[in-house]
Amino acid sequence: MLNTIRPKGRVIFAYLCIPVALFVFTVFVPLIAALYYGFTDWKGGPVKNFNGIQNYVQLFHDDVFWHSFGNNLYLVVACIIGQIGIAFIIVMLINSKLVKLKGIHRTFGFFPSTISALCIGFVWKMIYDQRTGLINWYLTEVLHKYKNMKSAPIWLGGEAAPIMLVLSIPLIWQYIGYYMVIILSAVASIDTSVLESAEIDGATGFQRAIYIIFPLIKNTLLVCITLCIAGNMKAFDSIYAMTEGGPGTSSMVMALYGYNQSFKSSNLGYGSTISVGIFVLSLAVIGGSQFILNYYMTDSYDREEKKRKKIRDKEARIAMKKRMKGGA
Amino acid sequence: MKLRKVLALCLASAMTFSLAACGGAAATAPAEAPAQAEAPAETEDAAETEEVAADAVEAPAAESAESGLAYKGEINFMHYSTSEEAEGNGSSDGFRSCIATWEEAHPDITLNQDVLANADYKTQIATKAAADDLPDVFLLQGMNTANWAKQGLVLDLTDIIKSSPDAAGYNMDLLVPFTSEGKYYAMPAVSGGTCTVVMYDSNMWKEAGFDTFPTTWADVEKASEYFNEQGIDTIAFGNGGQWQMNSCFLSCFGYQYTGTEWFDHIIAGDGQASFADPDFITALEKTKALFADTKIFNSDFNSVTNEDAREYFISGDAAAFIGGNWDYSYVAETLKAEPEKLEAMKIAVLPEGDGATHYENMQNNGFGYGLAINAKVAEDPDKLDACVDLIEYLAGPSFAEYVGSKYGLGGFYKADFDTSGLNSWDVDLYNYSYVDNKAVAIYDSFLGGDVWNTLNPGLQDLTSGKTDAESLAKATQEAYEAFLAQ
Repeated sequence: MLNTIRPKGRVIFAYLCIPVALFVFTVFVPLIAALYYGFTDWKGGPVKNFNGIQNYVQLFHDDVFWHSFGNNLYLVVACIIGQIGIAFIIVMLINSKLVKLKGIHRTFGFFPSTISALCIGFVWKMIYDQRTGLINWYLTEVLHKYKNMKSAPIWLGGEAAPIMLVLSIPLIWQYIGYYMVIILSAVASIDTSVLESAEIDGATGFQRAIYIIFPLIKNTLLVCITLCIAGNMKAFDSIYAMTEGGPGTSSMVMALYGYNQSFKSSNLGYGSTISVGIFVLSLAVIGGSQFILNYYMTDSYDREEKKRKKIRDKEARIAMKKRMKGGA
Repeated sequence: MKLRKVLALCLASAMTFSLAACGGAAATAPAEAPAQAEAPAETEDAAETEEVAADAVEAPAAESAESGLAYKGEINFMHYSTSEEAEGNGSSDGFRSCIATWEEAHPDITLNQDVLANADYKTQIATKAAADDLPDVFLLQGMNTANWAKQGLVLDLTDIIKSSPDAAGYNMDLLVPFTSEGKYYAMPAVSGGTCTVVMYDSNMWKEAGFDTFPTTWADVEKASEYFNEQGIDTIAFGNGGQWQMNSCFLSCFGYQYTGTEWFDHIIAGDGQASFADPDFITALEKTKALFADTKIFNSDFNSVTNEDAREYFISGDAAAFIGGNWDYSYVAETLKAEPEKLEAMKIAVLPEGDGATHYENMQNNGFGYGLAINAKVAEDPDKLDACVDLIEYLAGPSFAEYVGSKYGLGGFYKADFDTSGLNSWDVDLYNYSYVDNKAVAIYDSFLGGDVWNTLNPGLQDLTSGKTDAESLAKATQEAYEAFLAQ
């Protein structure tokens, strides 16, 4: 009966091809194309001459690119601490019995991450503005730290505070809610009896968070960290809106630099090389961080167990070989 | 059963294709969306400007109507004169109204206009050039001429310009930015005029003890002491977009140290001038000194745009402002609400820098963009005729008369126009740009984008103390040499 309704395997296969085809066209083809263009001196237009690894040599010696890479790493670290750290704390607060109207906290916390990063950039550009911005208004009119707003700091000028720190605050602010929702759902899946028994045993809220909840949701945190790294390695929009990489190139990030090279300087060949560079470096950073985190987040018992299993397997193989020989 | 299978497969493939097509469409959507959004406004506006045009200039419509063109069909046209920009900007208004007139006169030809704001336009047109998908007619930026001509993207207009019926009236000097290897690739259009003009409130400067704007920076610095006491910025400037200090300051101020010949050699690429020349380094050092070491400019000049900075001037928070002709027309338009302040607004050339060896009254002038035709259009001679007719009209006498008699701006065509209808402030700018002062070339109308994308961020670094003049000069020279090597 069921078989008459169920379509043939080939039909299912054809339908499943659709997303694969989409993925190939939107991700794979551009990637391969960029790889190819990266080896040309393409200046925009039909003429593309193959120029070997010259672009990669240039990339290797390009101070601005490596400076941008450093800025991306700065963002990654700032956002892991800021976004996931603060999100974790907020989740713990929301989960405490003292907090009322949890749904509202959740909704408002999540709200900024639904706004486009470009808009966030423009909003924060206004907040940071020297003469009309909210921060300087507060410092001048409320705290009276400055005579007037003209003498207040120029936040986006890079002198009042490290420019990357200033730029990472909007990013952190925007995505706290995003990680908050992920962590909340992970915490909700923890068996309440575990927490209750900890409470009965006299564990404080802090102890529960660190010794019970944290280890139980570590896999979710790992996913959060990976998402955070991937997101910040391709940071572009809000920085583009706030400083365009300035002053000078002090807040340049890799994606923005690739964009500038491609479209402002019309070095599309070199721009492609940069995007390949971003791809490779992002893979390396994500892969490297996964490796380190996996190592530190699996506890020693698991590691020992893995080692023991390896030894057991090896012994079993040797024993098998011996038996085979004996048999022959 | 078999039929069902075939049908299912067909549907599946149809869906794949339609989705793939969606993917493609999504990629081009941003390009089309503004155009669509623009479309209804376009028709309304066209009607509006039509009326204005008829009021101001006696209908330039008639003449082109008789030029019977064989071509019937579409012309894709991309430019950056948005209706918003046309409201305060004379050349943009003239450009739009001329387009509307031409469209009216050629009912058989559909002009598909893709209108984007300038910053978006630059990105879009670069993308289209990269994809070899340029529209039939578009605005070519001077700095892209050499590269795009070499790529075979733009049509060689040398013979067309020389044999044009209006050729006798063309100001051939303006073609230099659009010349590559002796051939012309575009007809200068839209944004003509001066790029550097000091606007100042003469009443405020009188209070500071200056009847006219100081002629040396040393005096400006003296005045700044007075203004700073009052809590007012002496001169407002916005370099947040990184191009402003190059286009609206250095590309005029620099000549005080290097002289004009230096840049002629740079353009020619004959090896007789270099960005690492001591004179240019001095110009950079003096620029740094003015912006970083004195309190003349608003302290946030590197993080606000020229649009922000001119508001400081309009609101009286600054006693002067340095910007281009587009800023001037905007400021004048806005100050109409405050006639007293408008009357007090005067203009001046950049004062003499400390130790300047080539000082004279200078302003940088020229056309940043020119109307170019896609090289592919030549395959269809009828269409080419129509495109040539369009660009000759938009860069020709009608445009020059319109912007001349209405705004005191000059065009590629040297038109005699009636200045009686001009506002006094437009006459001031006209005299400033075309009569009283020596015109020098705007740096970034020439060479290539990669040179300026080294110098421009570098100027921000320089004026915020992160680099010194010598290393910036060296870096720019390297980019310049790479450009010449192409």
